[in-house]
Amino acid sequence: MRASGVKALGILLGCWLLSACSQWHYDLGVPLEHGTVPAEGSRLTEALEALGPPLRMSATDNGFVLAWEHWHIRENSVGFRLGALGADFMSADWGEMRIKGEFLLLTFDEHHLLTSVTRSKWDNYGGGGKAIQPFFGFVSVVDVDDLTEMMPQHRWGSSLFQRLPGTLNANSNLDTGQSGLQQRGSPKAAGQQALEMD
Amino acid sequence: MKLSAGSIALVLCAVILSGCAQFESKRGVEVNWQSAVTGKLVNGQSTRRDVLAMLGPPSQVIALDGESALYYLFEHSEGDGLVLILYNRMRIDTRYDRAIFFFDENDVLTEFATRLYPADEG
Repeated sequence: MRASGVKALGILLGCWLLSACSQWHYDLGVPLEHGTVPAEGSRLTEALEALGPPLRMSATDNGFVLAWEHWHIRENSVGFRLGALGADFMSADWGEMRIKGEFLLLTFDEHHLLTSVTRSKWDNYGGGGKAIQPFFGFVSVVDVDDLTEMMPQHRWGSSLFQRLPGTLNANSNLDTGQSGLQQRGSPKAAGQQALEMD
Repeated sequence: MKLSAGSIALVLCAVILSGCAQFESKRGVEVNWQSAVTGKLVNGQSTRRDVLAMLGPPSQVIALDGESALYYLFEHSEGDGLVLILYNRMRIDTRYDRAIFFFDENDVLTEFATRLYPADEG
């Protein structure tokens, strides 16, 4: 084989091995409009007119809370593996994630008056990792599943029909809209969901 | 210009191994809260029965102290991607069409709000 042929084959092989380089962008919701947050003491109607329906809602002891959110998640990963060649015995990966978003929480009393406004905004490194994994790939170096999951409203009915450990904790279930709410990515190992089992 | 067999193979593989992707995901209740529909609702007059008759079963029912709220959600994700040899890029946009209705202890509508993105207006 001529030198040029060998070189071309080498490039092809390299490209094939590098086929795991990828970039994922998730955009969940739309950015919150600035300057539209109603002042404390405003009525619920004004808040709904300014911000539209909330994305999350829950009853509280003396009223309710409404939340609006926007997330932008960027996942970058670079890796190579030999699986494409039928020899899945080695893979090397590097990945990282950046999370950008904002969350607005409004608390209303039983008279539908706004009692508190809390807003947070972030643009953070969301984690990442490196891995060299012979034979089997056990570890995903970037995990965004808990940040991109569907809204809890879709699980509202099923959340009341869980297996026993979950059912026993139903009064604290955050999917019912009766026991508070939580942001995406909140750890489940502590707090209200600590008694539940997947 | 004469191309070597290696160059031809390289170009051929580059074409074969490249691609693009497009996908869509829809979750939630049927979107029935177009402004033409909700325009018939009047705070202080319409009832929960009216809303349920117009929009159907909600995604979530929330019990407030004596009051209640119906929440409707439709989640629409669209994604597209470019699959090249050295670089793959995927972009996923998720939008939430939603409506919320508050009722007093007599099941009379007190407040409501809706949001519908143009793509789902039809």
